[in-house]
Amino acid sequence: MRLTTKSVLLGLPVLFGAALAAPAQDMSEAPRVNELEARLNVDSTLFNATIDEEPSDDMLELGRLVAMGGAENGGSGMACVTCHGANGQGDGAGVFPRLAGLPGWYMYKQLEDYAEGTRPNRIMTGIAQRLTEDEREAVASYYAVVEAPWPGPQAAAPISGDQLQWGGQLAAVGSAEQGIPGCVNCHGPNGTGNPPSVPYLAGQYAEYMSHQLQLWREGTRQNDAMGVMETIASKMTDEDMRAVSAYYARVRPGLESVTPPAPMDDGEVAEIETETSDLLSDVD
Amino acid sequence: MAARTLPKTDVVIVGAGWTGLAVAKELSAEGQRCVILERGDYRHDAENFGGPEEHDELKYARHKGHMIDTPTKTLSFRNNTSETALPMRRLGSFLPGKGLGGAGIHWNGQLWRPLPSDLNMRTHYTERYGAEILDGMQVQDYGVSYEELEPHFDFFERVCGTAGQAGNVNGEQNDAGNIFEGPRSSEYPNPPMKHSPPQKIFRDTAASMGYHPFPMPSANVTAPYENPYGAQLHPCTYCGFCERFGCGYFAKADPIICIYDTFAEEDPIEIRYRSHVLRVEKSEDGQTATGVTYLDQNGEEVFQPADTVCLNSYALWNVHLMLVSGLGTPYDPETGEGTVGRNYAYQTIAAAGVFFNDEVWSNPFMGAGAMGMTIDDFNGDNFDHTDLGFVGGGYISANQTNGRPINYQPTPPGTPSWGAEWKQAVRENYLHHIGIVCHGSSMPVQGNYLDLDPTYTDDYGQPLLRMTFNFPENDRRMSEYLVGKAEEIARNMDNVRAVSTVNRAAEGDNYSIVPYQTTHNTGGAVMGTDPSTSVVNRYGQMWDHHNVFVFGACLFPQNLGYNPTGPLMGLAYWTIDALKNDYLQNPRPLMDA
Ligand SMILES: Cc1cc2nc3c(=O)[nH]c(=O)nc-3n(C[C@H](O)[C@H](O)[C@H](O)COP(=O)(O)OP(=O)(O)OC[C@H]3O[C@@H](n4cnc5c(N)ncnc54)[C@H](O)[C@@H]3O)c2cc1C
Ligand code: HEC
Ligand code: HEC
Repeated sequence: MRLTTKSVLLGLPVLFGAALAAPAQDMSEAPRVNELEARLNVDSTLFNATIDEEPSDDMLELGRLVAMGGAENGGSGMACVTCHGANGQGDGAGVFPRLAGLPGWYMYKQLEDYAEGTRPNRIMTGIAQRLTEDEREAVASYYAVVEAPWPGPQAAAPISGDQLQWGGQLAAVGSAEQGIPGCVNCHGPNGTGNPPSVPYLAGQYAEYMSHQLQLWREGTRQNDAMGVMETIASKMTDEDMRAVSAYYARVRPGLESVTPPAPMDDGEVAEIETETSDLLSDVD
Repeated sequence: MAARTLPKTDVVIVGAGWTGLAVAKELSAEGQRCVILERGDYRHDAENFGGPEEHDELKYARHKGHMIDTPTKTLSFRNNTSETALPMRRLGSFLPGKGLGGAGIHWNGQLWRPLPSDLNMRTHYTERYGAEILDGMQVQDYGVSYEELEPHFDFFERVCGTAGQAGNVNGEQNDAGNIFEGPRSSEYPNPPMKHSPPQKIFRDTAASMGYHPFPMPSANVTAPYENPYGAQLHPCTYCGFCERFGCGYFAKADPIICIYDTFAEEDPIEIRYRSHVLRVEKSEDGQTATGVTYLDQNGEEVFQPADTVCLNSYALWNVHLMLVSGLGTPYDPETGEGTVGRNYAYQTIAAAGVFFNDEVWSNPFMGAGAMGMTIDDFNGDNFDHTDLGFVGGGYISANQTNGRPINYQPTPPGTPSWGAEWKQAVRENYLHHIGIVCHGSSMPVQGNYLDLDPTYTDDYGQPLLRMTFNFPENDRRMSEYLVGKAEEIARNMDNVRAVSTVNRAAEGDNYSIVPYQTTHNTGGAVMGTDPSTSVVNRYGQMWDHHNVFVFGACLFPQNLGYNPTGPLMGLAYWTIDALKNDYLQNPRPLMDA
């Protein structure tokens, strides 16, 4: 059975109007576990996906399962894929962040932080609280390894050339006048992140990013270990946040593309699919 | 005389480092028009020190991108008066800065105060042990007490958002801090840094041996912080690029983000870059200075008249400027007369390297300039010097400043210095090593001094500053003693496979300007209450020219066991206080000669 976002969304409480307009996520996009394992042959991908120890195929399988909505405590209630997509592409409206290739450790920590309340969110807090420790780790590793197409700069909302220029400047050198350090200091030369703890900004959705900066400034998001983002956001104007987010949304995400080997038909993958669909039917 | 004379200003400041910017900030607030002449360029943490470009070890640590260019400006060096000094053509033992922020850009941020007994060293030792213990050394009192300086140490610690654990607040001791420190008026503005497993082992081992470990006070800020001038500093990320690098994170306190950025548009401050001061000009009667002559950015010689002249060009170059300008009387090591160049001193550095087995991980790439766990039990006169054969001491500290790829390749004793075995040893030890540094004092003796070189000149045609220095026997014995203590602690630590030691002030070895030790050059224009043994009075004012004020470590009569910036900034704010509240209303010598 082929599940689509549409069928899954039917069972969701109507929490977020905008989300329902999200483009359909096709579950068949979910890469197979052996494809994911093959990507781990690249050191940088392996490092990106490692949380406590290197992800095993069991862990990736569990992660894939959780993403599809299968979890020990009767599922998280909502499959990650409904909003973030099976390949972690997120949602073009910018409500649901792109997860593909984010550092595993970073995502694991976010799930902990959602659950503990240092990053309160009315959707993610409940979801994270229902996941076990192992499931958080597994799903984080899974999304760290998957690859998603990037909608490209044209998908980002329009912005004036001046603002874009200003955003690029903030990214590269910050602002001496406002005392803002350049984002490249920590988020990497092209905003491609610095695993395990610093997420990429390149290719992330602008609306999502500027919303996060606002949450930091107003003190709602308080989960960054050293408090650096809080301090940076407190020095930024709304205009700055919009500009830098619009800039990064237009920068190509950095994960080196690893061509997966041709999928091996060993039956394993098919099994997961069945299992997954069973679990997903709970959601309906 | 210069080709062109500019309109007169109230205060001219030579150098835009920590001391120069502090003077401008404080005096401009009193309405004084301040002109700062800086021989380097404008630069800024945001635009110029951001990672990942800044984290280029080759460019900044090896090729020393932020430091003076020796082909333009250097000094000559010899170990003693029987030798002929040669120009230092490459930087090594010390790394003076240039450009906005001076060396305060590429410092580590280890931020100390002196012990009360460091400041009246001669009186203190004479009372406790008898004057003979100081025989053969030109040890002196500063002429200003810890109590007088305390508010200024406290203020500078707040300017930097210093992270630490107080050991003595208003006389109340706290074992978690440095119980030997003088009473402080308040806690540190920020909590101490985090520490690595080896540092915690050092702490526990030192404590079990009866010592008193505490976190090193740090200007690598640990929490979002606003300083008294309104500058906002960010928390440190432990990236391990402090010393020799600028900090693009706004996390290591430096003169640009802590002071320069807080200058307001309307403040009467002008900074002129690429302006190299050649000399201070004197009035006809020689009693005062009239201003300074400098080469402007077009290479033109101009005269900037001023009512008050402040020398903030770094310890060594302040002395050089005095010598080339004929300010004060040059010191003569034969007769012991004269004061400019007298009591030059340095810092002894020794260390024990600790190599752990696989049970203990340091992960050295997570580090910070002032991430240290320290004991002060053997600093200053915190321990009984009877029959030890030396005075002074130093702190012993397990520091984790960086794990940078080119320079950080610890190998246990006996490892070959190249080849497969060396590579194997680096691989095995990189993540399991920490250094325990012994940072010791240095005493002034008659033969260590600064003067002008008779042979060599710099790019501007002026004679080079000549440094004549070797570690006095006193310092060598002291350094040997300290490194012995460090080694003992190292050997008592658990899971240790090997211990190595190094001592830059070892008996029998001459001081060398090649390996880096510290940029803690002190003395040469020392402060005091006796004009025959000091260049400036207890306010930092020249005895011979009352409108010349001197800042920096050149004021130290002898070097402390601590890093100099906390002490010298305490002195700077003390001098600024005297200028603001006394001198500027009524310019005159503040003490009778
Ligand atoms: C690698 C390194 C690590 C250090 N770590 C520590 C530490 O951890 N803790 C600590 O306490 N201290 C440390 N220090 C020392 C600290 O940097 C100095 O004590 C401090 O910067 C001195 O301030 P200053 O204002 O006297 O001089 P500087 O900061 O050196 O400023 C002097 C300025 O004057 C300018 N100048 C010089 N000559 C002229 C001229 N003729 N005309 C015009 N301008 C001129 C220079 O270009 C420079 O900008 C470190 C230093 C170095 C180099
Ligand atoms: C109903 C939609 C929805 C579902 C289902 C969902 N998420 Fe989210 N997720 C969001 C939203 C919205 C955010 C942004 C919230 C915020 O502002 O912090 C988010 C944020 C995140 C983040 C933080 C990303 C970052 O860049 O910091 C992670 C990690 C994450 N989700 C993982 C998951 C996982 C794992 C699951 C499944 C167990 C899941 N999400 C299910 C909507 C959803
Ligand atoms: C000192 C290091 C540092 C600097 C400089 C920095 N960041 Fe961050 N940033 C972080 C860290 C660490 C995190 C992750 C915090 C956490 O654990 O939640 C983060 C997270 C973020 C996020 C959240 C991403 C997500 O997926 O939820 C955004 C958006 C962001 N930063 C934007 C910026 C911008 C814009 C700048 C430049 C103006 C900047 N950052 C500069 C360290 C830094």
